[in-house]
Amino acid sequence: MGALIHRPEYAGYDFGPEHPFTPARLEMLLDLLRRLGHTVSPIAAPAATRQDILTIHDESYVATIEALDRGEARPEADQYGLGTPDNPIFPGMDLAARWLVGGALHGARLLLQGGERRVLQLGGGLHHAQKGHAAGFCLYNDLAVAIRAFLDQGWRVAYLDIDLHHGDGVQNLFYDDPRVLTLSLHESGHYLYPGSGHIQELGEGSARGTSVNIPLEPFTESGDYLEAFEAVVPQALAWFSPDVLVVQAGADAHFADPLGDLALTTRAFETLHRRIFELADAHAQGRVLLTLGGGYEAQVVARVWTILYLVCMELPLPVHLPTPWLERWRHLLGPDVGQDLHDLDTALPELTGREARTRRNRDVVSRLLESVRTCWV
Amino acid sequence: MLVNEIMRKPVTVIHPGATLGEAFQIFQSRGFRHLPVMDEGRLVGVLTDRDLRFATSSLSSAPRTVDDPVSSAMNSPVLTADPLDPVEDAARIMRDRKLGCLPVMDGSELVGILTGMDLLDALMTLTGVTKPSSRLEVALTDHPGELARLTAFLAARHVNIHSILTHAGAGSEVRTVLRLDSNQTRPLAEALRADGFNILWPMPKPWAH
Repeated sequence: MGALIHRPEYAGYDFGPEHPFTPARLEMLLDLLRRLGHTVSPIAAPAATRQDILTIHDESYVATIEALDRGEARPEADQYGLGTPDNPIFPGMDLAARWLVGGALHGARLLLQGGERRVLQLGGGLHHAQKGHAAGFCLYNDLAVAIRAFLDQGWRVAYLDIDLHHGDGVQNLFYDDPRVLTLSLHESGHYLYPGSGHIQELGEGSARGTSVNIPLEPFTESGDYLEAFEAVVPQALAWFSPDVLVVQAGADAHFADPLGDLALTTRAFETLHRRIFELADAHAQGRVLLTLGGGYEAQVVARVWTILYLVCMELPLPVHLPTPWLERWRHLLGPDVGQDLHDLDTALPELTGREARTRRNRDVVSRLLESVRTCWV
Repeated sequence: MLVNEIMRKPVTVIHPGATLGEAFQIFQSRGFRHLPVMDEGRLVGVLTDRDLRFATSSLSSAPRTVDDPVSSAMNSPVLTADPLDPVEDAARIMRDRKLGCLPVMDGSELVGILTGMDLLDALMTLTGVTKPSSRLEVALTDHPGELARLTAFLAARHVNIHSILTHAGAGSEVRTVLRLDSNQTRPLAEALRADGFNILWPMPKPWAH
């Protein structure tokens, strides 16, 4: 049904044992898929070339990463967002990031050639990377390089970002390009990194109306999230009528994520994933390229992305997690995981303040729709 | 942050003998709301778009017309700022007197203009909200060294601070808002709590996980 892209080299994108963006997440995911009985034989895509990276990033930024990679001292590194706790320097970082970009780019080429309709890249989703700046665990912007490849062939691209954080890198890179619609649902930037993604950010000049942001209150739950999604995303895609949908499918909006404050359950993710494919079928000729993204709680991300894989490939969802998998990863899973693919119904208690949050989320959505109405004609 | 770092220059000015029609054209075509009025190199007034609208309104008892001089509608005398004034001093004058702008004078020379919009830009710069960052809000005890203890904690973890604002909170606490170059504020907040800091945001999640 769909093509899967992954290669072992993705594990080399590793900021060290203390860092939340750990490649162990991918290993747990692949192991879970295998132990659920799925023969996972992903396509091993080539690394992106330096030239591919330069379709999006500044040469001086790329040259700085290459120099740091070789172990050269660059006092200006922190001006490029490098060598910070979020984006530590590590040997092999240039190639490690190019492997991830290469996967997304290869996925774009498969779709452009017409052989595939659904491509899932198991990795990447580095949506914070800016033109000349590393940010929020992201060195090179794999999504933007893939989007550029579609644009070069004359395609119009809708980008959908369900990561906990605002997809600021992708939005900024195409902020004045009317051929790219960026849609980001995220926890409000009033507190959370990167602080942007307000409803007033709508795009520039002829691209006004092609940047769309749905910032949600901290502690927003599944019902509100899905309601906001349904209020905006289908009509945006119907208006824009893209040739392809590019999706950053981060899993950190889950309630157990240690970096954020949204409160989605795995049931909400399943609904979201199904809706993404339905919407791609309805508005983008079924063509969709997905990457992973944020997601920092080990017991969550393997389950959420397994659901994504199974929905993408139109496979049935099992009820239970395989015991051997639970046993192998017990040291990372902790006591809360339960025995099932989905969250336990009791995992998230009734939250106080729900009515006020719902009201504020609805206000934000209606203000957003009010301001894009004149653009979406 | 000083006035000369955030003021606008060069300044478009108008002569007191120019007509209100000419002033209207400048307001409309350039998108300005304030025009310093200069006569032989001397600042003699300020004309705002509001002055112009009031002076020419048909609701006014003696409406001015398109050919009347700028001097008939301008504000005079004018409050000004010095380029080396701290921004907060200029802000206080503008707020106290409900002014939309302050011409900036270096001696007798007009060197710039400061508007309410420039103060909003300054606020955004001061709060660091223009850079990718997250927000950490701490209630410090009002005691020497508390802020140093907080920043030392961040420095030890190599976390860059984009901005730091403090203001008096309830009782003896000092509200401190930092914008940090970090996507890991929640774990940082937990570590700060363990170190005895009163972190207002991020707050603990209302559920166990």
